[in-house]
Order: sequence, then C-alpha cells, then structure tokens
Amino acid sequence: MKRHITCLSRIVMQNHHAKTIPNTRFLSTQEATERRNHLFTLEKKRQQENVGRIEKIEVNYKGVPKDFTLVMNKDISTPYDCAKHMSEWHVESSALALLDGNVYWDMHRPLTENCTLQLQNFTVAEPQQVNKAFWKTCSLVLGACASIAFKENVTVKLHSFPGPDIRSGSFIYDIDLPTLPDWTPTHQELYTITAEFVKFARQGHLIERLEVGEELALEMFKENEHKSKQIPNIARTNGKVTLYRVGKHVDISKGPLISHTAQIGRVSITSIHRLTGSSDSDIKQLYRFQGVALPAGVILDHFAFSILTERAKKLNLARSPINKFVERQDSNKENVAARA
Amino acid sequence: MNQADVTKLVSKLRIPVHPERRKLRNPKGPEGRIDKLRKTVTGLIKYERIELNYNRADEARQYAERLISEAIQHGDCHKPTMDIADYWLLEKELVHKLFKVLVPRYENLNSCYTNLLKAPRPQNTRNIEKVVLELKGNPYPPLRNKQSNNKLLIQNVLLDAAKYEYRQSKYAEIADKIGKGETTVDNNQKEKVTEKPSQS
Repeated sequence: MKRHITCLSRIVMQNHHAKTIPNTRFLSTQEATERRNHLFTLEKKRQQENVGRIEKIEVNYKGVPKDFTLVMNKDISTPYDCAKHMSEWHVESSALALLDGNVYWDMHRPLTENCTLQLQNFTVAEPQQVNKAFWKTCSLVLGACASIAFKENVTVKLHSFPGPDIRSGSFIYDIDLPTLPDWTPTHQELYTITAEFVKFARQGHLIERLEVGEELALEMFKENEHKSKQIPNIARTNGKVTLYRVGKHVDISKGPLISHTAQIGRVSITSIHRLTGSSDSDIKQLYRFQGVALPAGVILDHFAFSILTERAKKLNLARSPINKFVERQDSNKENVAARA
Repeated sequence: MNQADVTKLVSKLRIPVHPERRKLRNPKGPEGRIDKLRKTVTGLIKYERIELNYNRADEARQYAERLISEAIQHGDCHKPTMDIADYWLLEKELVHKLFKVLVPRYENLNSCYTNLLKAPRPQNTRNIEKVVLELKGNPYPPLRNKQSNNKLLIQNVLLDAAKYEYRQSKYAEIADKIGKGETTVDNNQKEKVTEKPSQS
C-alpha cells in the first residue's frame, strides 16, 4: 500500500513537472558559472598538454633593479613567472607587461618567442594602457559580482561592456535581469553590491587568459543568449575567442587585463540605470551597472573621491548595445538644454 | 656695534636645526658622541644613502652639511678645511671623493646637500623612528615617487574629467543667465517703448 502511494505521488509529480518545465533544462546562474569554470579548466589543461616538447626562449628584462636575461619555457612561461624570479614587489605591483617596447601583453599569457620584457605598474610615466586594462578589469569583476550578488531566484544574464573610457568617469557592465522588469536599486542594495565587489577583489584572484575556438565558447555560454549571439561576431576574424577567468567567473574580453584583483583598491558601485531598447531590437531592456574604482595604493582624500562617485552616479552615455539612436537624441537634448 | 655679525663669520646651514640639545648618550662621554657622529658622516659620504635612527641622523646631517659647505667655500688648498675633512672622514680616500666628486656636484646648488626622509616602520610597534639620510644626486633610484603631477595617472584623469564637466555645466548656467538677462532687458525696453507713447 505504501509503495502504491509513492508511485502515485511520483506520477503526480512527473505530470506536474511536465506542465511547468519545458524539455530543455535551465541552469541557474551559479550552476552555469561552475560549468564554465570546469570547461575552462579542462581546455586550459588540454592546451598546456598540447605544447609538447619544451623549448627555451631568452627574455631580456629591462628595468629595476637591473637589466638581465632570463631563460624561460616557450608557450608555458608568462611575464608573471618572470616577475617571480625578481621580487615579491614585482609580482604584486606589475599590472601589464610590455614586450619589445610596443606590444602590451597580459601578465598571465605565455610568451611565444625571444623578446625584451618591461613590467608596467600603475605609476609608470605613461600609464594609459595600464589604466585602460584596469578599467576593463573593473568592468569584468563587476559582472562577476553581479552574478554572485543576486539570490538564486533572480536570473542574471550578462550582456557586455563597452570599451574603456576613463574620462566618462565610470566603468560599466550592461546586464539583463529578465525576472526584475521594474527595479530601482536602493542605496542599501548598491552598498551590498559594492561590498560584494570589495570582498571579491580582496581575494586576490589571478586573472587568467585563454584563447578558445568558437565552438567551445558557444558551448560555454550556451545558456546566455546575449553572449552566444556576440560570439560569432567576435570569432569572425580568426575563429578564436579570448576568455578571461577571475576566480570561478569566466567572461569574454578582448584584453589585455591587469594581473590580479588585489590590485583594485578603493571602489564604489554608484548607480544602476535602466536602458530601454528601441522597438526593433529584440532585447527590451538592460540594466547599466556603473561604478568607479582606483588602483590599490592610490590615496585619495574622501572629498575628492566623493566628487568622483557623485559624477559616476549620472548615466554614462557610452554606446548602448540595444539602442543606438535614443541615446544620441538624449545627449543632443541635454546639449540643447545646456545651451538654452 | 663693534661686534662682528655671527652669520657672516660662519657659513649658514641650509637645513632646519633642532633648537634643543641632543644627548646621544655614550659611556665615553662627549668624545664617544663625536666618534659616533664621525662614523655616520663617513658612512654617508661613502654610501650616499644610509638608514638609521632619527636622532643620530639629524645630528650627523648638520656636520655633513657643514663639511660639504666648507669644502665648497675654501677648496682643497685650504689647510684648515683639509684638517676638518681629515678629522671627520675616517677613511682617507673619501677626502678625495669630497673634493673631487661632491664639490663639483654641489657647487651651483642653492639648497641643502642632503635629504632626510622618514623610513617606513611596522604599525603598532614601539620601535624608534627610523629615517633615511642621503646625499642629493646619488645614483640610486629615487625614494620619493614624485608622480602627483603626472596628468596621465588614473586618479588625475578622473579628477580632470570631473573638473571639465563641472566647468561646462557652470558655463552653461552663465550662458543661460545671460540669455535670460538679455530677454528681460529686451522686455524692459519694449515696456519702456510702450510706456513712452502713453506718457506723451
């Protein structure tokens, strides 16, 4: 009799499920992150095993404390490994590597040939590229935090972030939250996301880089329809997609990015604006997460930082991925308003 | 009136001098104190950058400054100066360094010849304050990172952009006011014009 009841309940359950859940299985945000992380690990291992016979390359280091030559492994050693031969200071402060004086290279990207190496931190004489890498990294980490910060029942679909524009005053991530159609974040919620960001950054995750084929990238971002639409576009030139992994979070970015997240110092997520799509675009609305951050070790007075945060609260007018024209009209209107 | 002006007899130090006497206690008494300072001055001239306790560094700095300024003023053919150099520099090859390297380096300098910088120390410890004493123009990488004027640093870029935006908004406000002012003036004139016929 007992067995009957269980059978009955199972049948009922199955029927019930059949009605509510369609055939394809949905992954929660966390499960998707785990899956992507796993695939990234496997692919990285495969690529490392593919190197085969280890060849040596000569890396001429230029800079403090003195110039010298290192003999490193081709396609295995990274500038980060070179920095490990020097000092802890080099390992912690270097954000980007400069190869042969003109190519900016990620700290965790294997070197492929003989080259001269310079390490760049945030206080070099010409830090434009380092700043750009920093701004991109902040956007990427913002995406990672947003996917951590929400509860299980809120679906977070990352869309993209535009190229770094530091003069605009804020870094951006455009995120689709389909279960929250009408959300205006409170001060407390912004504060929580900021705390999440700080917590994540303090863990000091290395920012790993991997180039994968289009197919694998599509497989990784299967449940995110925005990313899987972007991937063929990105892979059009050489069939490769550049992925970055921060902690467990994997995201697409052209790079280069900085070395590790502990290099992000003071940070504030200042505002979340709603972007509405034009009638012909298939995405109706996105949330634009905005924030401002400074590298670790930069000491800025609280008043000066409050100026930056106040400015970062305004909607960043960087190109919207879903609606190109409304934004421009808005800015025109503002200009007209400013003129009048 | 007959008294000589002291500042003209003795070359003036270009560094702030501590008003209170420093004890720098030593079992040998004042002689031991001078010996310590001689060692420090010799070390400074030899290595050009040394790290030590604040009191000793500040005291030795005054003697080093004085030694260099005397050397610059009188040159190496002046017997008393040579004697002073011989007394303060324990290693005699440094006398050559003083006259042949440091004097040409500092001849045209208008400020002091040494830097005294606070050295970092661990937080919440009761260690004595450490400082770095260095000769100016030494070959080591600079201790101070004078980057605050670099416009390309990220914080300066951000602040600069914020300043620019603030100014633009202010200009817009002013333009707005002027525009309104003109229109009000125009209205007043019109009113006057309309008033005049009524008066006449």
